Amino acid sequence: MTSEAIPPEARPRLSRRARVQTDKVTGKPVLLYPEGVLLLNPTGHEIVKLCSGDATFEEIVTSLAGRYNLPAPKIAAEVSEYLERLRARNLLDLLPQPSDGGEDRRTA
Amino acid sequence: MASPTPRPFSLLAEVTHRCPLHCPYCSNPTELAKPDTELRTDEWKRVLAEAADLGVLHVGFSGGEPLQRPDLAQLIAAARAAGLYSNLITSALGLNQGRAQELKEAGLDSVQISFQSDLAPEADALAGVSAHARKLEAAHLVCQLGFPLSVNVVLHRGNLDRLDQIIRLAESLGAERLELANAQYYGWAFRNRASLLPTRGQVEQATQVALAAKKRLYGKMEILFVVPDYFSDRPKPCMNGWGNRFLTVNPAGTVLPCPTASEIKGMRFENVRDHPLAWIWKESESFNRFRGTDWMPDPCRSCEFREIDWGGCRCQAALLTGDAALTDPVCKLSPHRHIIDRALAAEGASGGALVARQNAFGATY
Repeated sequence: MTSEAIPPEARPRLSRRARVQTDKVTGKPVLLYPEGVLLLNPTGHEIVKLCSGDATFEEIVTSLAGRYNLPAPKIAAEVSEYLERLRARNLLDLLPQPSDGGEDRRTA
Repeated sequence: MASPTPRPFSLLAEVTHRCPLHCPYCSNPTELAKPDTELRTDEWKRVLAEAADLGVLHVGFSGGEPLQRPDLAQLIAAARAAGLYSNLITSALGLNQGRAQELKEAGLDSVQISFQSDLAPEADALAGVSAHARKLEAAHLVCQLGFPLSVNVVLHRGNLDRLDQIIRLAESLGAERLELANAQYYGWAFRNRASLLPTRGQVEQATQVALAAKKRLYGKMEILFVVPDYFSDRPKPCMNGWGNRFLTVNPAGTVLPCPTASEIKGMRFENVRDHPLAWIWKESESFNRFRGTDWMPDPCRSCEFREIDWGGCRCQAALLTGDAALTDPVCKLSPHRHIIDRALAAEGASGGALVARQNAFGATY
């Protein structure tokens, strides 16, 4: 499914439909949602943790680029691809600029 | 089995077959579990805990109408305590403010409400009861309480032409996911197949409508639409393989690889009253019967898609060919594809009046 790219100033937030917890069987993080499960790899888990609605897409990329010591464009491409997978399942809200008091599309 | 037993991820807990609705495409078996055989509260709690220990992460409370069980909140609390993500799959009849609040407090994660149509008269005629207006009210209540809402609509000849309006209804309700579930022809729906089966033209039109809506609502409402298997020349990967990812526990405690498997003649399924769930999943003859690919006949055995579609649906093979161990006749490579083609050839012909699901033992509402 095609979509517009995530704008750098958007603040991704994991949907309230999703819950992250530790899997009893493997001890690894899993993302649960109404119809399924995503097993999170370490990078995926890092990305999801940063989707709190506070940081912008650009800030998430900068933070991960610093942590993994990799060029920002490469990280941006990977984060974008990962977030699109969540968006395709409607597991990610994209909040607008912070000046609006943090309202999202449901309460706007 | 050479490969290790796979791990189940999802449990469908059919807590009762009682239901106030009479939908003619109901996915329950035509032989419904009687209320006096239903698992008790403590038995369900044990099943939920055992499922979580086995690796299950996700439970759908379904039925029948799960709200018919007065102890539903207790079961949801038990699921939560076991770390399971819980989804209520409901007609919404019986979901009033007090009940919804009780389920919220018990830790229910999400709610899926079924709709029959976007139009009240048509919806109520199908359900056999005045339900549509109450569903609308319940959907608002669900959103007010902060539950993520999914809407499920079974599609068939009678409502497929209203797909666009149905999608807009789900959108207006604030649904975050819409399951457009083409009727599957087992049990009650099989009895009514001649009247429910859409025309190819309807399916093609609906596919376009669904694709356009998917694009329009990307990131706002997830839409699931799969072309009905009769109109495809490849079978569906039913349950993602027998005994691979899913299990169903029916109201009487019988454990099934898929919700309709109890209709396969000649197969015996184990009960949680007799065995631990882990044993049933790993060791029982029924769960191992069609697990993996060793059981497969030709043309599946040598097919490059054998670990993609897993030979299709065992219930459909049993229902249409009389042998659950044959290739799903939907597959173009099946020697029985003509059975499907014959059903399709009668497209649009009247199949007579729909036979409503009968609730011999009634339901309270």
